[in-house]
Amino acid sequence: MDKQNNKERISTLFVIGLQLALLMLIFRQFQIESSAFLRVALLAFGGFVIHAVLPMRFRLPFFLILSLAGIALVFGVRNGGWLVGLGAILVGVCHLPLPFHVRVTLLVLAAALLALLRVDWIHAPWSQAIWPILGSMFMFRLIVYMYDLRHDKTPFSLWRVLSYFFMLPNVCFPLFPVVDYKTFALNHFDQDPRKIYQIGVDWMFRGVFQLILYRFVYQYLTMAPTEVVSPGGLTRFLVSNFLLYLRVSGQFHLIVGMLHLFGFRLPETHHLYYLASSFTDFWRRINIYWKDFMMKVFYYPTYFRLRKLGNTQALIISTLIVFTLTWFFHAYQWFWLRGAFLLTIPDTVFWAVLAVLVLINALYETKYGRERKLGKHSWNLRSFGGRALSTVGTFAVICALWSLWTSESLSAWASLWTSSVRNVGVIDAKLFSTLLVAAVALGGSGLPGVSRTSGGKKSPAQAGSRFRNFPVFTLAGLLFLSLAGIPEVYSKFGHSAASVIYSLRSGSLSRVDNATLERGYYEDLIRVDRFNSQLWQVYMNKPVNWLDVQGTGLERFTGDFQQKELVPSFSSQTSYARISTNRWGMRDKEYEKQCPADGLRIAMLGASTVMGWGVENDQTFEAILESRLNRDLAGQPFGRYEVLNFGVPGYRPPQQLGALDKSLAFKPDVVFYVATSREASQSVLHLVDAVRHGVEVPYDYLRSAIAKAGVERKTEETIAIRNLEAHRDEILLWLYRRIVEQCRSQGVTPVWVFMPMVLANPWEDAPESLFQTAKESGFIVLNLIDVFKGRDISRLRLADWDTHPNAEAHRLLADRLFEALAERREQIFSPHLAKLKSKEPLEHISNQSKLNSRRTDHGRN
Amino acid sequence: MDEIKPTIKAFILKEFLPGEDPDELNEATPLITGGILDSIATLKLVAFIEERYRCTIQAHEVDTTNLNTISDIANLIRSKV
Repeated sequence: MDKQNNKERISTLFVIGLQLALLMLIFRQFQIESSAFLRVALLAFGGFVIHAVLPMRFRLPFFLILSLAGIALVFGVRNGGWLVGLGAILVGVCHLPLPFHVRVTLLVLAAALLALLRVDWIHAPWSQAIWPILGSMFMFRLIVYMYDLRHDKTPFSLWRVLSYFFMLPNVCFPLFPVVDYKTFALNHFDQDPRKIYQIGVDWMFRGVFQLILYRFVYQYLTMAPTEVVSPGGLTRFLVSNFLLYLRVSGQFHLIVGMLHLFGFRLPETHHLYYLASSFTDFWRRINIYWKDFMMKVFYYPTYFRLRKLGNTQALIISTLIVFTLTWFFHAYQWFWLRGAFLLTIPDTVFWAVLAVLVLINALYETKYGRERKLGKHSWNLRSFGGRALSTVGTFAVICALWSLWTSESLSAWASLWTSSVRNVGVIDAKLFSTLLVAAVALGGSGLPGVSRTSGGKKSPAQAGSRFRNFPVFTLAGLLFLSLAGIPEVYSKFGHSAASVIYSLRSGSLSRVDNATLERGYYEDLIRVDRFNSQLWQVYMNKPVNWLDVQGTGLERFTGDFQQKELVPSFSSQTSYARISTNRWGMRDKEYEKQCPADGLRIAMLGASTVMGWGVENDQTFEAILESRLNRDLAGQPFGRYEVLNFGVPGYRPPQQLGALDKSLAFKPDVVFYVATSREASQSVLHLVDAVRHGVEVPYDYLRSAIAKAGVERKTEETIAIRNLEAHRDEILLWLYRRIVEQCRSQGVTPVWVFMPMVLANPWEDAPESLFQTAKESGFIVLNLIDVFKGRDISRLRLADWDTHPNAEAHRLLADRLFEALAERREQIFSPHLAKLKSKEPLEHISNQSKLNSRRTDHGRN
Repeated sequence: MDEIKPTIKAFILKEFLPGEDPDELNEATPLITGGILDSIATLKLVAFIEERYRCTIQAHEVDTTNLNTISDIANLIRSKV
């Protein structure tokens, strides 16, 4: 009998191990979540093998050691030590030999002190990166723990308590479910381990599947609110916005699945939430751990205290308190994750409306009950129709509410609807039905064998156990995903499918988020106020005063269409680099107004990259280019080359008109207009800003374009952007033509240089039409789009949250620009040779360039 | 004492599962984790227990440990009366 059991145990562990190996392969192929998660998953899966064969009494200590190792793996020993140390102090306070209320008061004081450190009022000696994780480990779990400490009689176990707070997967997931301590303690290996392990694998598979679906929605379906101009667009916006929640549920499945591998038989975190058939049903199905936490710590205690008022009154007050606290706790959670509270009007309205809907629903159910079934549902046409209608209705209302929650303002949300109504009649029924079907499928119903039945009869332990002896469905799904992620396999699926799978294999920012990130550089705003964007996670580790240009005093407000300019003769050592300007207000060395007789002068127009955001004075590509021109080409043909830096952080195309005027006063021979990918949209944003701030637009054409779009000072921002976007290409064409005409009229050669931000695939954001517009306008076009191709971009940008080039990237830009310049030398330099007395053959430039390219390549090799 | 389980079962069937086959509900059927007892139903059940057995149930006792099955409920009642 023992032999038989051992054999079964070994074979089960082998099957689990096989599935974990496939999961690991999928995590790697699809770059699931982060590189930190990959390391932690490897640690967890490797640790599982040892854990599973250890005697029971060693398992909890081993899990704690693994958890602490995970923290050290992600944060390093020093920062990991701080995290564990701070956590240990908090846990220690919970157990001080003092009355309960004194301990609670001490915890509140400790939280207040940590809050001061979080907002940097007191400088913390540890990395900013540990805040979100420290927050997620303690911000809610301490509340649950103290509650259970007061009421629960379970004997204290140091291993268990520390495992509860530092539990392994938490270290790479700042959005972590609120785990109930009592459940965590009581359900540990309370059933057959083999069954628990298989449920864990099933849930991790379900999680990874949802995360891949999320990527599809994020990359292909999401839209910016300004892009919504029809009912079809509105539908797509609303549904895709709600579907982004798949990321949260996917992560929770991964987390809880991983905990199952160590015997923690926790319940389901989400249950077919896209299929909720009422608002109370929705509240019960989405983020079940949160609901349970609120019920346990706040709802029941409030209700029991108020029962003497009558059941209905107690229910109303308790429900409203729960939703008020949920609203507050979201802001509180945001504080620990991002360092700032998030309390907005849309947020408040969202929770208020949801509270009222759930309350009405609850009162209805109190009076009339709701249908519950013990066995299988016996559907007929009427019951099925009724359920389908209520499900679709609930889904539609929640989609609309969710969009309100994620809107910047109530007026921005209202404008979504008004702009769609204007174009009624172009409803994209196909899109609508596709998204609806997808919504139904994504709730998990499309995963037989790993989801509970909608009647919810099975216990969590039973969930996913249909194939517990041999997990056919999970194994098949894992095999399919791991094969589909192999380039040699998916490339055979045809070009379209292969492109989609390729894009799903990385967690890069979407088109919409990249635009938001870029906009943040220009407007000094961080509009990442919700979890509906992946960008918040990128911004989470951003230091509070990251490259604070305004804080350095480098810029001054002009009050006109230019809005700002650099302060002349400025010098300051920032924490990132020394920034100096010359007497003319350029981040450059001193120049005379007149170019030397034998010299060639280039005026460089652009924004932050040209100015050299985040690098030293002599590390900007403009400074390097100038040095190289003078080093390699001195006297050939020009005696001297001067490159004047007119870059100003935050300058958009319309502001370059003013910058051009300024530069022409320095009599340049050539103007380099340095463009980035979203030239047309950036032009629109500047015009909208100007109009909304009452700044006079000094160009007739632009004034008439603004009038044609119906944009006025009081026009809501989203509407203004949407209306002007319809004219953006014409506006950009006019801007470019004006620059070219002005240059030509003064004998200046206009050159348009495309310079990408440091992104993995910059060409995705650079439409061919942009290059066409530059050519049509009469610019000489130098395209540097491939400058970072084939390189590890994470080593070339300033930070994950800042895609500006670092010093190394500036060097690459300078080299590439030098080469591009040499290739077009005749076109660019020839018109200015007349001013030279001696004429050196221009071929030298080309030869020198090739020589240097070879040198550079040799150096790289 | 022996009548606790049948009484609770009868109450659950009458209040929350009208028309269902009584044989499908046994003393180990998961009530909370199985979706039969939601918060509203749980509070109704608690009110019934308190009235029927003249005992007081505390807010912190309303959880899956004490109320997830008919057997758990019976144990809770026995500990109080």
